[in-house]
Amino acid sequence: MSNEASIHGAGEHAAQREFELEVRAQDMEVNFGPQHPATHGVMRVLVRSDGEVVTGAQAHLGYLHRCAEKIGENVEWLMYLPYTDRYDYLSAMNNNLGYSMAVESLMGIRIPRRAELLRVICVELNRVGSHLIAFGTYGMDVGAMTPFFHCFREREWMMALFEKICGARLTYSYIRIGGLFNDAPPGWLEEVARFCDVFEERWVEYEQLLLSSHIFIQRTAGVGVLSREMALAFGVTGPMLRASGVDWDLRRDMPYSIYAEIFAAGAFKVPLGSGAKGKLGDCWDRTWVRVMEMRESIGIVRWCLAHMVEGPVVGDLPKVLRVPAGESYVAIENPRGELGHYVVSDGGRGSIRTRVRGPSFSNLAVIEELLPGALVGDAIAIIGSIDIVVGETDR
Amino acid sequence: MSTGEGNAFLDLLNAVLPASVPSWIVVPSAAVLAIAVCVALISVNTMFSVWLERKVAGHIQCRYGPMYTGWHGWLQSLADAVKLLVKEDIVPRGADRILFVLAPALALAGILGAMAAYPFAPHVFFADIDLGLFLILALSSVTTIGIVMAGWASNSKWSLLGAMREAAQVIAYEVPLGLALLVPVMIGGTLNLIEASRLQSDWFGMGWFVFKNPFALPALALFFTAALAETKRAPFDLPEAESELVAGFHTEYSGIRWSFFFMEEYTGMFLMSAIAAVFFLGGFESPLTWGLRQSLGEDPGFLNHVVRADGSTQTLIAIGGFVFQLVCALTLIVKTMLGVFLMMWLRWTLPRLRVDQVMTMGYKYLTPLALLCVLGGGLWEWARAGWGS
Amino acid sequence: MDFTGIHDRLSLIRAPGLLGADLPRKADPANKSLRARAGGPFVSVEAALLPQFLRVCRDDPRLCFEMLVDISATDPSKSATELWVNVSLLSVSARQRLQIKSSVPKQAPRLPTCSGVYPAANWHERECAEMFGLVFEGHPDPRHILLPEDWIGHPLRKDYEYPKTYHGISCE
Repeated sequence: MSNEASIHGAGEHAAQREFELEVRAQDMEVNFGPQHPATHGVMRVLVRSDGEVVTGAQAHLGYLHRCAEKIGENVEWLMYLPYTDRYDYLSAMNNNLGYSMAVESLMGIRIPRRAELLRVICVELNRVGSHLIAFGTYGMDVGAMTPFFHCFREREWMMALFEKICGARLTYSYIRIGGLFNDAPPGWLEEVARFCDVFEERWVEYEQLLLSSHIFIQRTAGVGVLSREMALAFGVTGPMLRASGVDWDLRRDMPYSIYAEIFAAGAFKVPLGSGAKGKLGDCWDRTWVRVMEMRESIGIVRWCLAHMVEGPVVGDLPKVLRVPAGESYVAIENPRGELGHYVVSDGGRGSIRTRVRGPSFSNLAVIEELLPGALVGDAIAIIGSIDIVVGETDR
Repeated sequence: MSTGEGNAFLDLLNAVLPASVPSWIVVPSAAVLAIAVCVALISVNTMFSVWLERKVAGHIQCRYGPMYTGWHGWLQSLADAVKLLVKEDIVPRGADRILFVLAPALALAGILGAMAAYPFAPHVFFADIDLGLFLILALSSVTTIGIVMAGWASNSKWSLLGAMREAAQVIAYEVPLGLALLVPVMIGGTLNLIEASRLQSDWFGMGWFVFKNPFALPALALFFTAALAETKRAPFDLPEAESELVAGFHTEYSGIRWSFFFMEEYTGMFLMSAIAAVFFLGGFESPLTWGLRQSLGEDPGFLNHVVRADGSTQTLIAIGGFVFQLVCALTLIVKTMLGVFLMMWLRWTLPRLRVDQVMTMGYKYLTPLALLCVLGGGLWEWARAGWGS
Repeated sequence: MDFTGIHDRLSLIRAPGLLGADLPRKADPANKSLRARAGGPFVSVEAALLPQFLRVCRDDPRLCFEMLVDISATDPSKSATELWVNVSLLSVSARQRLQIKSSVPKQAPRLPTCSGVYPAANWHERECAEMFGLVFEGHPDPRHILLPEDWIGHPLRKDYEYPKTYHGISCE
């Protein structure tokens, strides 16, 4: 097997600079992606392996780069909202919320109470949906084909709920600057309550079928251990950070929206990894944190349903919005970590800079450290446990 | 007893053809007929297994599986077969053409050869081989050569990884497979499948080897696990690990060549289950066959040679014997299919083991356990035989 | 968000012994630029001093900013002469954020890399470099990250012109 035929690059200069590490004759260079069943999107990981052991890894991004930040400068404030759905398309409600909150902080407006409650319900249901996909596809990566279908059974219901409230199943554009798009239809809140009940029963199945499965534990415990120091140094956030033992959740520690109230009422805890099956910060811990978070999100939704009020939900905004000049960085807790929007306004009709700090982008940086030394099968397990969405990595 | 008495194909041809046809035509024709039936059986089994797999997968995953092609999708396999036949035949550039074309044929040839020892019924078999079990184990290993050839010849690193994993896995699990099979061989004292089945006809048809020796049940479990690894079924399906290696060693294959690999896999599953059924679970025997034996005699054949008054022999079909052979055949098929179903059930429930875990399990756990079973089983048999007194 | 503690800590940054950071005064009429209305606590630092300043933020036990959250740049307008750089830090133990603002001239957009202090800066700096043309001196791996390796130009600059074709594909 020769190595010269396998370095791909658009230009020779680029190809030479790509792999600056020493190339030994017997190492095999394998491309994971861009088309691959396990990279969770269009991403390419160039892996150098000595048989089954990985000796080097390089991530190549940009296959899904859709210039979201440039578009942010070219459209008006309200028009940018559908673009926010599409970076992390699995948790579109969260993205909407992040952007809306960033603009609202520049404007200094208050959101009606009912809108806040509905926002939190939608965002937490979205979190459940996103973790369901992370969990189901992770099972598939590891070889268990069945939990994926069970997860999608619940996710279908969640998407049907969202379709009832805003008309879309995946990219909602529902949470808008100043409030929401429209109010919930009659009967929606009751259906959400039913969903919570059924989901809590089915949640037990996920734990039993995959999380406690001996083979799954063998495949993920002790694999891809991310230490606390490395997690903080690489700017890792979200379930990955909590699985490494760092007790940090923006909803509790830097609360936004009504989360301070919800946490004070004791409606949710933040699951923290503990190295229960292997070492602290391994793939099993990350999966465990996500599964536990699903249950906590249901608890938050129940609290909001119990404290629901009547009232307006749509913000009172002019058709052409002009936001006062200034800069603002507002971050929320995405299912993947800290989603930050840094917007700069000069008082005009659109922003002059919309910077999106995507959690998957920072979380992904650790694979270049975690992969070497692992087996090829472990490489898949590690990449899957990071739970990236390439739309957010590339924007 | 290789081409002689009791072989249904030979008897049938002898009865049908006029007596003037010399035996050097009749015997090979019987062989050709047997091979044709074997290939037909394998094709039907594959088509049925594909349908069964998809239905089992569907129901485990809270959905139905194929429903549109025929009643509950029973024509789905036919539709798939037609689709595969008309697909473009692609050989990747840079692939070793001869090996690429030869590999699936070799994989299938090995398992087809092993099917020669599979008996339908006590009098309906392709060949009554005294070393039947040995032949099956030996020939089913030939498929590994085909698979490694496929991985190498595809000129793709994914395929090569899959092929290397397959070679390592098969070598690791051949040992516990053979050792676990030693236990029923010791109980029965024969490697001949038909003979072994006949030896389990006591105890009202429930005198199966698995009940006759306390070490036979663990041996069955070990055999089944090793068989899962040999046939590359989950949790040992690394060589074709879909989510890791796209499709492993058969990534570059499409159309009919790909279907050869799948025929090889399903036939292997069928054969391993059949071995388990014959050597552990009684083979043809069940209380029903015991009952039939009571009324029809010890070994009812379905052809009766009647000597007429004028000295010529006439061959008639004996209804009782025919029923007996049919019941035997169905019993074996049902037992085999139970094993196949169990393999499918496990595939859709369990995740996949990593390659080093597969090796650890094979060498460090299964092999010592298999050795213990052989030791214990042998001592038990020796004790049963009176310690050699 | 609780800002009460941050001013004490920011005053620490001004203390002698640490690098002199320039805290803008809110009511300064001369400081009429957009940055006067930044939301949240921020510090302006000279670009050349950025890595040392970050090292102090990370290592000083009273400041303890363990995590670098984001490095981004802004091109304020076509006529502006400077590119703005914004570094966002997070202190997990003190539950506080800090934005560090810096500028570099557009004609010579060079500044030292921070990836030696926070490995997280590595990929963020690569993105800023390809999008704005910033040169991070000393960066271990200055390749394009989101754009193709042979892309010409810096897309997020206000004076960026889209190419007409790319490898024979028309971009009209």
